[in-house]
Amino acid sequence: MRSNLSRRAFLGLGATVAGGTLLSACGGGSASGSGKLKFWDMPWGQADYTAAAKRLTEAYAPAGELPAATYQEIQWANFAQTFSSAIASKTGPAVSTGGGFQAFQFAEQGAIAYADNVIEQFRKDGTFDDFLPGQIDSMKTAKGYAAVPWQLDFRVWWYRKSLLDDAGVKEPATWDELLNASRTLAGKGIFGFGTGAGAGNNLGSQGLLLMMLNNGGGLFDPDGKVDVVTPPNIEAMQFVQELVKAKAVDPASISYTTDNLITQWKNKKVAMGIHTAGLDTDTGETDGDLRVLSPLTGPSGAKAGLVFQNNIMMYANTPSTSGSEAFLAYYIRSMKALWQQNVVAGLPVLKSIVALPEFQKQTQKAKIIAEWAPVAKTFATRSTALFGGLAAVDSSQPLTQFAQTVLAGSDPKAALDTLQGALQAIVK
Amino acid sequence: MTRSRRTLLLLAAPSLALLVLINAYPLVYAAVQSVRDGTLIDPGEFVGLDNYLSTLTSPAFWRSVRFTLIFTAVGVFGSWAGGLGLALLLRTRIPGRTVFKTLLLLPWVVPVVVSSTAWNWLVATPQSLLPSLAQALGLGTPLFLADPTLAKVTVCAFKVWISVPFMMMMISAALTGVDKAVYEAAGVDGATRWQQFVHITLPMIARSTYISWILMTIFCVNDFPTIYLLTGGGPVDATTSLVVLSYRTVFQNFQVGPGVAIAFLMTLSLVVVSVALYRQIRKAHV
Repeated sequence: MRSNLSRRAFLGLGATVAGGTLLSACGGGSASGSGKLKFWDMPWGQADYTAAAKRLTEAYAPAGELPAATYQEIQWANFAQTFSSAIASKTGPAVSTGGGFQAFQFAEQGAIAYADNVIEQFRKDGTFDDFLPGQIDSMKTAKGYAAVPWQLDFRVWWYRKSLLDDAGVKEPATWDELLNASRTLAGKGIFGFGTGAGAGNNLGSQGLLLMMLNNGGGLFDPDGKVDVVTPPNIEAMQFVQELVKAKAVDPASISYTTDNLITQWKNKKVAMGIHTAGLDTDTGETDGDLRVLSPLTGPSGAKAGLVFQNNIMMYANTPSTSGSEAFLAYYIRSMKALWQQNVVAGLPVLKSIVALPEFQKQTQKAKIIAEWAPVAKTFATRSTALFGGLAAVDSSQPLTQFAQTVLAGSDPKAALDTLQGALQAIVK
Repeated sequence: MTRSRRTLLLLAAPSLALLVLINAYPLVYAAVQSVRDGTLIDPGEFVGLDNYLSTLTSPAFWRSVRFTLIFTAVGVFGSWAGGLGLALLLRTRIPGRTVFKTLLLLPWVVPVVVSSTAWNWLVATPQSLLPSLAQALGLGTPLFLADPTLAKVTVCAFKVWISVPFMMMMISAALTGVDKAVYEAAGVDGATRWQQFVHITLPMIARSTYISWILMTIFCVNDFPTIYLLTGGGPVDATTSLVVLSYRTVFQNFQVGPGVAIAFLMTLSLVVVSVALYRQIRKAHV
């Protein structure tokens, strides 16, 4: 059958179809999918976390004309790229969780909707007073609240009781006791400072930062400028060097991934070390042999922990700012369910969740809130406020390189000098 | 312009437009980023060639260049030698040849995420298989990933292991095109096995060899997962190649301009090497 379509008309049709396809592919978008708010969430626990968080999101019943919300899990791999490219192309979320400093970073780039109205609501309905002390204040910037905290991620000292008992070592309470205990354990071929600084493992650098904080140091000065070559930091890193010399640090640990490190804990090659609050669940040993130490007393008498305040942020690109605010307020008020189901690895920021029997029976986590939270300091210390530049410092290559250098036993002063220059280059 | 030529151009236009959008647009966009001081979502200010100058004067860049050269040289020639050896071996009539060929393809077929996990399991801790074996043989406890030199060796060996099957397939295909009568004639003329290999086999597969070298050079220089999954570029930057450095600069340090400048310099070098090898292809015998 001969078609009535001329060759010219056919070519025109082809060009129209191709052009239309390309234009639709290049087209921008908004933070709504089918008129709903997009909530992007990271995998903050095992597979059951995502299912529970999705249920919580889908249970949201917006008032009046406000949009409902859809749930999307975002993987940690390349998450900065995922968020940045989505925000740049205006296809990003309206509300999200994410990296601890992501809200501050995007706020400085004008992509964040400040949470002042949500905080104001919380003041009125009493939710504000339910937050652990200082948590909401830590989200404050000169222009407003960059986000609302929803859970805490600690770095704390852990120990394996059976190994300490076998070695006749008491739980250390001070740095001196830690060093002595490590020497005794090293005599049995067991490491007293379990750590790792391999691919994707930031526990090594975070552990070193915890030691600096424990000695009154930190990465920044009170104005938020990089300031790492300080007497407290040098003293803290010299102490770590003592631990290395005492064979408290596994020489292979500078290349350990998180999985490698957990394997060493499981294999009972590590008796003490700095880890997240979830070491016992990560190793599958919640029988009480793995325990959280009380915060150590440093040489100056100070105690400190390291905490990351994970938060929920709202974006300027949203189909409805009031819709984003209503959803965020709902999520914070309802997130108790996640701890009741025991699906979140992080620790709660709300006193009402801390008081839950489901949380209190996780004795190690309860101990962290009771003993470590009051002395915990942020990644920005000695700066009192969090800021966008921290996103480039956390997990950065200079910090990893610093950790690998110090844990390999190199001169700490030289390593701190190198770190100072490298961090100054990336923190604007 | 003739009507048929116009029609030809019109027919090709959608494909050309697609090619421009898919290839040229990102390239131009990246070129613009490389001369600005932007972030991932903000294009930033024009800074001229500052990003290129800071990159070229950075010791970290030159360390990465050195490792990239080592990694590429070992990756290309190591896998070529291994692939050639296996291809020659499998050309002989050994029993189970097809099964061997299939099994030997596995390192190439298995996702890098899986094979890097397997290699990590083999070497990462002192209790892993290879360090335990070395200890049993009285060789101490080698830190395959924690010692900078051994980490380089391990990463290069991993790359060769992954790439040998690809080379084996390329060379096997080329060897099937070599007429056995040529060997018979050379044998009659008194040529030894080695002389036949050097003066017949190698020249006859030269074109495939150069093509495989070009491809493997591109694979090695652009290889991100093999290195990043196994060592993350460490310890202390010992295994940081240019592509890993570029990734870290852009996505960990959020320095988009310098990171893209590194990628551009890398691409430029690749083009130069590829053109040089392509010229060799044109000179090759077959």
